[in-house]
Amino acid sequence: LTAVILADQAAFLSRWGRYLSAKLERPVVFLARESYQDVLDLLFARQLECAWVCGYPYVQHQDRLTLIAAPLYQGRPQYKSYLITGRRAFSGVAGWKDLAGKVLAYSDPLSNSGWLVAQSQLALAGLSPAALKKTFFAHSHRNVAEAVASRLAHAGCVDGYVWDTMVKQGMPLPVATEVVWSSEWYGFPPLVALADAAGDIQARLFSALEGMPGDEEGVQLLSALNLDGFVKVPPSLYDGIRDLARQHSLRTGRPV
Amino acid sequence: MLHKLPYRLQVPLGLALAVLITAFLVMVVSAQISVHSAKRATLATVNRAVVLLVAQSRPLISADDTWRIYTLLRDTAALLPGVDAGHSRLAVLDQSYRVMASSHPAQLETGRKVAEGDRVPGDEASTPMLGAGTLQWVVPVRSDDGQVLGHLWVEIDGAAFEPVWLAVAQPALLGGALAVFLLLPAGWWVGQRMALPVARIADCIGKIGHSREPLLCEQLPRTEAPELWRIGDAVRRLIAETEQRRKAEDRALSAERLAAVGRLTAAVAHEINNPLAGLLTTTQTMRLHGEDGFQRLKSLDLMERGLRQIQTTVAALLPQARLADRVLTCTDLDDVVSLAQGTARSLNVHCEAKCRCLGPLHVPSAAIRQVMLNLLLNAIKAAGPDGWVRAALCAGGDRFSFHIANSGSLLTPQRLEELIESESGPDPRGFGLWVCRQLAIQAGGGFGTADTSPCGQDDPWGAEPMPRTDFTHLVFWVHNKEEWA
Repeated sequence: LTAVILADQAAFLSRWGRYLSAKLERPVVFLARESYQDVLDLLFARQLECAWVCGYPYVQHQDRLTLIAAPLYQGRPQYKSYLITGRRAFSGVAGWKDLAGKVLAYSDPLSNSGWLVAQSQLALAGLSPAALKKTFFAHSHRNVAEAVASRLAHAGCVDGYVWDTMVKQGMPLPVATEVVWSSEWYGFPPLVALADAAGDIQARLFSALEGMPGDEEGVQLLSALNLDGFVKVPPSLYDGIRDLARQHSLRTGRPV
Repeated sequence: MLHKLPYRLQVPLGLALAVLITAFLVMVVSAQISVHSAKRATLATVNRAVVLLVAQSRPLISADDTWRIYTLLRDTAALLPGVDAGHSRLAVLDQSYRVMASSHPAQLETGRKVAEGDRVPGDEASTPMLGAGTLQWVVPVRSDDGQVLGHLWVEIDGAAFEPVWLAVAQPALLGGALAVFLLLPAGWWVGQRMALPVARIADCIGKIGHSREPLLCEQLPRTEAPELWRIGDAVRRLIAETEQRRKAEDRALSAERLAAVGRLTAAVAHEINNPLAGLLTTTQTMRLHGEDGFQRLKSLDLMERGLRQIQTTVAALLPQARLADRVLTCTDLDDVVSLAQGTARSLNVHCEAKCRCLGPLHVPSAAIRQVMLNLLLNAIKAAGPDGWVRAALCAGGDRFSFHIANSGSLLTPQRLEELIESESGPDPRGFGLWVCRQLAIQAGGGFGTADTSPCGQDDPWGAEPMPRTDFTHLVFWVHNKEEWA
């Protein structure tokens, strides 16, 4: 798992692991890491069989990865990126152009909503990275919200789904912040596996995830995740992210 | 105010007050010590936190990981005093003293330059720099090869220690309250115990002279305190001495009463003895010359008047039997001389008496006869063998006087006063002289020595003038008024 969900509660992960173990008839253990890169490293080292990562690393490594499923959020396998700020009287940020000379918090260098979208919007606003006073990575969307709420940063880029879930769960962090901009729809962070992985674990895992809305415990787990279910999605769902990555590569000269 | 209270209240109140003051001072001092100790402990904790933060922030500064620096500072700031009230702050600065992250971004925002660039990185001491009530640490964070990567900034406002003062003062307040709760009644009890013997001694002193000695001695407290024991012993001696003095006074009063009875008896005997001696002389005269009718009648008259004098004297002692007295006449002077003649002849003393009355007499006969007889007999005795005695009765206007002189040793005014004052002494003249003085004073007159001739210009002794300083001359005088009689 990565920070694509608010899944850092050990009790919930244990309960979800037992559910999937029963469905797959084999032990299922969740490993959580703050960094997307750490999870990818484990996956590519074949220490993981499946990983829930952001769409941006999937696009970067789509030739080595295969899509297992993507969550349904508000009835679609897509989400948005938000630009949040603290109280405007303090931050003075109402949009991307106001970030000049400000401190901006990102989520992760491999996060679409928490970094890649921001790079595109900053470019559109005509702001180079040097125009900002400082930027830093908070290693999760939740931490970005806390950084903005505590005024460590004037603004932050977060996953819209994570933000909305925090609001829904009544967490205090969104109260001290506000959304000043939201992006278009992008493909929801997918569950992926190595394309050359052996066995039928991918199919069995998809079947278990797809069937969650069909039983009471699965519904409770989905409710805790603030999701509607899991569906099979095509690679084209992530074309938007793919375009952002390509544009960023063109601006910086770095590979996608 | 306190000094006006009774001693039995002063001592316990004073002790109670001393307990309160002591408890207050101990409370203040212990609170001060506790505050200083707490401040030192807090500063030691801060120093340890600084060491920890320097070590932990080094890799984070190298990685420029603002978020993890922030979480490190945020979590460590809980060790600082007053952090909840915003009185303490932590920050990690980059090499140019800009804030990479702070525990309180609202106060030390990210990217803010908190110090001017004239500081040489690496030169700051790790000891706090004392600002205006604010403690500040700026500690360099170095790489393994000594390169300054950044700085740790610690800032604690002076107000951060005020809540510590209040918190630490609470045990001192509790201790003071406990001390007062325990020591105040104890102080009161000890004070009462100390003052009680003193109060009882004071009561005993107040009762001296009004209560009996055994009761007072029983009320005196028995104490082992040296000072109180000495006071009690002194009071006990005072009580004993007072009791002894009272008994001595009682004995003296009894003796005085007995002496008064004795004097009264002697006076009566003296007053009666003189006329009796005269009567005996008269009876001797009758026995020798009784055949002569004139002499017999004269002796009988003399005996009657002598007996009347005795009757009057005795009646004076019995108020219910007082008799009416007659007025003195010159004949009474002759009677007195006749009564004393026997004594004069036995001593071969020449007696001579003169009466010079220029008007009627109003003085009583009994008292004046007594005075004249007393003075005449005293003068005969004072003149001694072969001496002489001269008497003169003078009356004129409102003054009556009786003069008596003798050839004995000179009686000066001082000597006369000594005799009168020592009327209880061995000198037989003392009592008679004292009676004369008292009679004269009660009648508004006087009695003493005289340095002038009797009866003024008509000196009855003028035929044979004598040096006035060579003989004793006494005068008894009273007012010659009818009401006197």
